[in-house]
Parts: sequence; C-alpha cells; structure tokens
Amino acid sequence: MTRLACALISAIILITSSSCTAQGGVARDPGKVVQAHPAQAKPYPIFGRLYAVKGGTLYRFSGTTLRALTHQVTVKDPATSADGSELAFAQFGAQDSTIMMTGADLFALRAITPPAGPEGPLWAVEPAFAPDGSGLTYLTDRGKAGGPNDLGIWEYDLRSGQSRRLTIPVAYTGGDSDQTFRPGASPALLFTTYLYDGDPPQPVARLTWMSLRTYRQAYLSPSLERNFQPAVSPDGQFLAYVHAAPTGDELAVTRLPDAPGAPPYPTQAASVIQGGMVAHPVWSPDGRSLAFLRLVNGSFDLYVLPLSIDATGIHAQGAPIALTQGSFFDADSRLSWSP
Amino acid sequence: MQGRGSVHGWDRGRWLAAGGLVALFLVVCAAAYLAPVLSLFGQRDAPSTRTAIPTPAATPPPLDSTHRVNILLLGSDNDQKFKADAVLSQTMIVASIDPAHHQVILLSIPRDLWVAIPGDRTAKIDLAYADGGAALARATVEARFKIPIHYYAWVGLNGLVAIVDRLGGVDVDVLHPVLDELYPNDLAGAGYGYTRVYIPAGPQHLDGVRALEYVRSRHGDLLSDFGRSARQQQVLLALERQGSKLNLITELPTLAHDLNGHVKTDLDLLHAAQIAFYVRGLDRGDIHQVFLPPPMVADARSADGQDILLPNWPLIQQRLHELFGNDLLP
Repeated sequence: MTRLACALISAIILITSSSCTAQGGVARDPGKVVQAHPAQAKPYPIFGRLYAVKGGTLYRFSGTTLRALTHQVTVKDPATSADGSELAFAQFGAQDSTIMMTGADLFALRAITPPAGPEGPLWAVEPAFAPDGSGLTYLTDRGKAGGPNDLGIWEYDLRSGQSRRLTIPVAYTGGDSDQTFRPGASPALLFTTYLYDGDPPQPVARLTWMSLRTYRQAYLSPSLERNFQPAVSPDGQFLAYVHAAPTGDELAVTRLPDAPGAPPYPTQAASVIQGGMVAHPVWSPDGRSLAFLRLVNGSFDLYVLPLSIDATGIHAQGAPIALTQGSFFDADSRLSWSP
Repeated sequence: MQGRGSVHGWDRGRWLAAGGLVALFLVVCAAAYLAPVLSLFGQRDAPSTRTAIPTPAATPPPLDSTHRVNILLLGSDNDQKFKADAVLSQTMIVASIDPAHHQVILLSIPRDLWVAIPGDRTAKIDLAYADGGAALARATVEARFKIPIHYYAWVGLNGLVAIVDRLGGVDVDVLHPVLDELYPNDLAGAGYGYTRVYIPAGPQHLDGVRALEYVRSRHGDLLSDFGRSARQQQVLLALERQGSKLNLITELPTLAHDLNGHVKTDLDLLHAAQIAFYVRGLDRGDIHQVFLPPPMVADARSADGQDILLPNWPLIQQRLHELFGNDLLP
C-alpha cells in the first residue's frame, strides 16, 4: 500500500512536470516528404535540381515538384556533375558500400568502385565530381590492409576507369571527409581533416585546402575548433561551412584566398549567417543562395537562404525559407544542387 | 416526500456507494497505468552471494534535501563470451546532482582503471560489476573514489536501444567519423561475432541501434576508452534533451514496458520522478562533463598481460575535491 501511495504521488509529480514542459514535438512520419507552405500559396520554387536523401531514398526537387528516384535500396551522398548531366551516389549493402554513377535520368546505373578488395569489404562514400568532368573523388577505406580503416580521399578517372589515392588520413581519427572541389584558375580540393589536439586531447575538425597541381596542403581553420562540411561557391570565391559552437552547429561563410597559407585563417574572418543545428550546406548553381538541412522540432528539414554579395562580403538576405517541414531528412547524407 | 439526507431522490448510502465506485475506478485506472512503471522500478540487481561486499557508505538524502545525490550509472554489453549475470560494465558514470549549486556533474570512470576491488582482487574496475553486481561496483567506487553512491541504475544494450527508440531517436553531432571493423555483433542473440560500422561525422539523427554503435565502438578511436566516454556522455546529454520533449503522461508506461528486463535500479519511482523534474530545469551550462585523462591515469600493462590504466590517486583526489568539496567520504 505504501508503494502504491508512493506511485500515486509520483504520478502526480510526473503529470505536473510533463504538463509544464512537454513540447509536443513533430511526430516521426513514416516516409512522406512534406513540402512547406508558409505564407505564399505555392511552395518555394527551386531553380535547377536539388537532391536530398530521406530514409535511404534519394529525392529530387525541381521547380515545385518532388520525386523519389530510388526504391528498395539504401543510398546516400548524391553528387552531380557541373552541368547536371551525371549523378553519383553511395549505395549501401550490409557491410559495404559502392559509388554508383548514372545519367540524371537514372538509366545506365553502374558501380565504379568495388564492394570488396583483397583487404576485405570496403566503404566508398561521398562522391564529388571534378568541375571539368574528368573524374570524381570519393572517400574509401581501401588499402587498410589490416590496419586502421580511416577514410582517405581517392580520385576516379572517368577515362581510364582507374582510382588512385589522394590523401593519407591520420590513423584512428576517422580520416578525411566532406571533400569538395574549388573551381577556377587555381583548382583545389577542400575537405575536413579529423584530428585530436590539445591537452588533454580532444576531437577537432579542421578545414583543409589542397592544390590539385602541387598537392600542397594548408589549413583554413585553427586547431581546437570543429569546422567541417565545406562548400565552395560556384565561382570559387566563397566558402560556406559548419562551425560547432557551444549553442549548436551554425552556418558560416567567408571569402577564400587564392592560395591559403599561414594564419590568420580564412574562418577567423567568417560571418555566421544561420544559427541552430545546421548540416551540409550546398550552393545554388548561380551562387546566390545556400541550401542546407536544419534541425527544427526534432526533424532535419530542407531550407534555402538567399544571399547578397557586395564589397563588404556576403550576407544573408532575410530569413531562411523552409522547403519542407517535419520530413526527417537523413542528415548523415550530403545534398547536391545542379543546374 | 424525500427523507433527511437525500438529494434528488438519492439517499446518503447511494451517494457513498457511487463515490466508492468512482474511487475504485480511479484506483484501478491508476494501478493499470502505473503497473509497468512499478514493475520497472522493482527490478534490482540480484543480491550478491558474496559476504565481503561493504554496505553502502551513505543513505540517500531525504526528498526535500538540498544535499547532493550521487547515482552510479552502469552500462553493460551482453557478449555471449560471458556467462549470464557476469558481464563487465562498459560504462561507469557518476551522475552527481547538486541542488544547492544548481548543477550536475557527469564523471566518467575509465573501464580499464586498475583498482583494488574491495574483498576481491586487484583488477580493471569493470570487473567489479561482473564479480559482485551493482553492490560491488558501488562499493568499489566508494572505496577508491570516496564518492558516496546513493543509487545505481544499470542499463543493458537492448535497454539503451529501447530508450532511444521510444524517444524517437536522438539528435547528435557526431564528433569524428566512426569506423570499426570489429564491432561486437551480439545484439538480439545474434551470436558472438563482429560486424563493420561506419557513422559519418556531423549533426544527424541516430536510432537506437545506431546510437548504441556510436557510444560502444572504440576500435577506430585514437583515444580508445576516453573517446568512447566522451561519446557516452554526449549521447546521455542528448537523451536528456530529447526526454524533456517527451509527454510523460502518455509515454511513461510504454517506456517502462519497453525497458522491462533491460534496466535495474534501486531508485524508487518517487525519487526518479523528482530527479527527472529537477534535471528538466537545468540549462546546458549547469551540466559539467568530467573525464580522467592522463596524467591522472597512465597506460600500463598488468602482470598477466592486460592493457590497463594506472591511477594517479593524488591527482584524482585533488580533482575530486575540486568537484565534490566536502561531500566526499572520509
């Protein structure tokens, strides 16, 4: 009886506390993508094609229409060629993944990396097309040979069909990620280098620049911070990335120097243009807006932020526009936006 | 004509009978609602048959106390290489709730810490739970760290998965890509083997199985158990945030049902509710994450060839005094 009385008192406390604080978050929807309809009558129109993944299924936004492109397979990390004619993504098995490539119409799908090698099953993720269309880069644990299987960046030549290694990751850090090309006169690859630094050691993520002519590398962000998921504007002039702040993962932008070198780092002159929890920024093909995933009410949804550029730099033009609501996109997958 | 004590044709006896029925109905409803919850809080670690385990050093402070309350959080795998009820604790976190200073300390104890287990051998501290259950794990923490442990809560693998899934998953900023070629494939009685795990870095939503992989993997992490401890605390805090959105009225019985058999605790429902209520009122800055990195510990190898962490007790005690002040045991 004492226990029952105790339980009843507890129930009252719980009911009181839940009544005071329960926020009634968004229910996890079983599979639908819900397009947002804010003040305007029609959904916000997308120029070009914006790709995102939900529940392992690849979706494409074009104009105001939305279409699921894959079925009964688990995919991640869509990437498109500069002209939008080629599409690549990672397709997952139980213990491996391969890079698949196809035309934008999804015909003639083909694997360009093997699911396994002499060293065992392999991961291959995050494809990214070179601006000149000559090939693409991807992350893989190929070559691990019994050691740590940190991810390194590899390059696939579309003409020869051969892959070669571009980076050697620091062992037992998880490796390199988020690679993206910088177009222009000084072609380069930007990516996130995951490391441990400090005393005691703590996880850090540094933005790294690598010349594709000399393979010289330079950091774009300081140590003892976490800056990751770089995205370079189509003209190669600006860098958007995610900065881990005490209040969340915010979206920042900065101007990219021609040939990065010693400090001060470009991120030290960055502007934060979106707070909260943000992931995977991607530029529109015209460079006038950024799309990203943003955590709202427990759901990662697609947002677009229009930008303005003037002599003082790059600025957000108003508040971000929700493309979807309560759609629970996969934030462990990249986005892609093509013409 | 109506007699005395009657209202609209009902005499007092009928009113009493009707009132009694309503009260009975409410009690039955409350009992049905609370049955799974009571069942959950009734599950404790089996009493150890060992006689050498010291009794808890401190009795829990009263409900209206402003005194510190320390809870030993234990997490175990259920690798089938171990016999039932003799599993190592993979997670040992002391959650210290200090109402007087409006703060919570989360202190992760490295599982490989080489300590003298009371009444037992000198071994890794994770062996205390395997050898003597929660009682010996508690006694070991009290004896070595001088932290009075008022309660314990143990969660098994499936319990963590159930908690995360019942909360609808957990939103976490994964600190590094997690790659593990030797992740134990022992969930849901799949037998003892290994599987491969890959979790990309960055903010994302983890379901129960994925969250377990994130907090449990350590083979691909340069910091090994320290890296894993940081991830465990990160998910614990994310779960607290996620749980604050839970409608406890509707979800608590279902959550209790899901956790049946996967959670053991000596917390009673009243204290658990009070703690839940208190933690909901905390800001992120009120929660302090504490680890014991070098030089408080040093890598070493035991005489029987195990990779262990040797404690530097003076340094650890100095840190504990900074954190707990005079609330430590003599």
